Amino acid sequence: MASTAPKTSWADEIDELEQPKGEDYVDENGIRTIVETVINDEGKTVKITRKIKRILQKQVVDHTVAERKTWAKFGQEKGSKPGPDRATTTIGESVMLKLSAGNKQSEPEPSAEQTLKSNLVRAGAGKVACRLCKGDHFTAKCPYKDSLPGLDGTDTPPFGGDDAAAPEPAAPAAGGKYVPPSMRNGARGPGESMGRPGGSRDDLPTLRVTNISEDTQENDLRDLFGAFGRVARVYVGRDRETGAGKGFAFVSFEDKAVAQRAMEKTHGRGYDNLILSVQWSQPREQR
Amino acid sequence: MRPILLQGHERSLTQIKFNREGDLLFSCSKDHVINVWFADNGERLGTYNGHNGTVWTIDVDSLSRFLVSGSADNTMRLWSVQTGKCLYSWEFPTAVKRVAFSEDDDQIVCITEQRMGHQGAIRVFDIDREGDGTDQSKEPVSFFNPTSSKAVVCAFAHTPNLILTGHESGKVALFDASTGEEVQANERAHMDVITDLQLSPDRSYFITSSRDKTARLHDTRTLMVLKTYTTETPLNSAAIAPTKPYVLLGGGQDAMSVTTTSLRQGKFETRFWHKIYEEEVGRVKGHFGPVNTIAVSPKGDCYASGGEDGFVRVHHFDESYFRAKPYGDLEIED
Repeated sequence: MASTAPKTSWADEIDELEQPKGEDYVDENGIRTIVETVINDEGKTVKITRKIKRILQKQVVDHTVAERKTWAKFGQEKGSKPGPDRATTTIGESVMLKLSAGNKQSEPEPSAEQTLKSNLVRAGAGKVACRLCKGDHFTAKCPYKDSLPGLDGTDTPPFGGDDAAAPEPAAPAAGGKYVPPSMRNGARGPGESMGRPGGSRDDLPTLRVTNISEDTQENDLRDLFGAFGRVARVYVGRDRETGAGKGFAFVSFEDKAVAQRAMEKTHGRGYDNLILSVQWSQPREQR
Repeated sequence: MRPILLQGHERSLTQIKFNREGDLLFSCSKDHVINVWFADNGERLGTYNGHNGTVWTIDVDSLSRFLVSGSADNTMRLWSVQTGKCLYSWEFPTAVKRVAFSEDDDQIVCITEQRMGHQGAIRVFDIDREGDGTDQSKEPVSFFNPTSSKAVVCAFAHTPNLILTGHESGKVALFDASTGEEVQANERAHMDVITDLQLSPDRSYFITSSRDKTARLHDTRTLMVLKTYTTETPLNSAAIAPTKPYVLLGGGQDAMSVTTTSLRQGKFETRFWHKIYEEEVGRVKGHFGPVNTIAVSPKGDCYASGGEDGFVRVHHFDESYFRAKPYGDLEIED
């Protein structure tokens, strides 16, 4: 070894001495074992053992087929040596062909939406429920998206006592979904620090509507909530200087049941690209 | 099942064909070259160079001596399978869309396209098999223009003088090879253009595939539809598996919409349907584009598919394929 080329460094020579010899033998079963020791990219010495068994497959073919095997190559392959050329012939990944009865065509392929939903469920985010109709689809896909759903009013639940505390806003999901503190049980809802102007009007059932856009006018809200019943009063919180909306409003109804239904139907509903939050207006705390 | 990938073409495949013993596989594509491969190991035996346009179609005779090809350069060529030499070339006014040998190898039928004021035509040529094959007659023995819808696929039927055609309108017809007379027709065989037509080994029945998403098995004599295989994708090719009661269907959406759909949506699999029960029994995926052409080895031990992606995939069936009895005791021996 050393005689082949003069070594430039004594370290190389030691490396070569330390390196164990590779093995290469064929055992009685015809299995050829090749053991190699190489230094990999990380500088570690690794031993590679390869066991190769060659099986000669014999095939009985027609004379014509056997003769064709001896044909000289032609065209673009002219002069190529026998055997498959790696440039044109490769072995693909193994594929399964499982033959079984029953029409596979009838199995519907999961749509992208279904895949997304199942992923959400797996991630522990709870089931997908429409905010409009509580159906098993995204709100954007709701068939009642363009019309207020269930306005027939037959499904109006009876409402309890007059001075009942604000009903819980949309029950928080049972799963591990994050619920902001303002939406948790016992919280009084977002935007409560905003002073309720006009003094106490507790005699009218009033809803506090938050997360409305700046441009929302009284009439817009009247149109929206008028669909549920008579609206007694609409107040939109505005900036004193600019007159632009501050993102909240109070809507008073004449009938508590109507107000309740309006709240159920509009809470969480998209309006002007924002998702409305509708709760009972809380009487201002006595200070 | 490990497929052998053959990368001999630079453009999408148009047709692939096994020879009678199933040891040679011929493939042609839009890149002007015809390739021939050994089916067992995927080794390329050679190429047939000479066409100056898309090679739409090929056929090989039963002795694997002559190969005939039809191309968009308006020629039909006869090749020596062994040497790759072009023996003869016929010129036409329009592109050749389909060629087929007769059962006794003595005749070739070809379809030329309807274009530039020329009508679509079916021609039948006699092949002189004496000598080296370079001495062929220029004139067809028979020439006729099928009226109504244009013919897109053709083959010789069960008797020598009948030509089976598939048409753009979905019609299947039988023509008398010498007079050009329409002997039999099924106008409503398919609802859309017929994309492929392959005969059973004894030519008593045949399968057609169509862009109307169905493949159908027809009786050659009466052109009656025997079986219908309804899939959810337009079909480009259909083949009958010998020895086992299956048919193989391949397709996928239009080539132009391939890039805008995902692989899974594309439905680029080769589907195995039970020939009798008309139910899908299995699928093989692998192609990155629609499957344009499928051929099954006449021995039934291997099949190949050529795709829009330019690959030919040769699959040698596993032992499980031959053992499988998806319908148990109801299974039908072919």
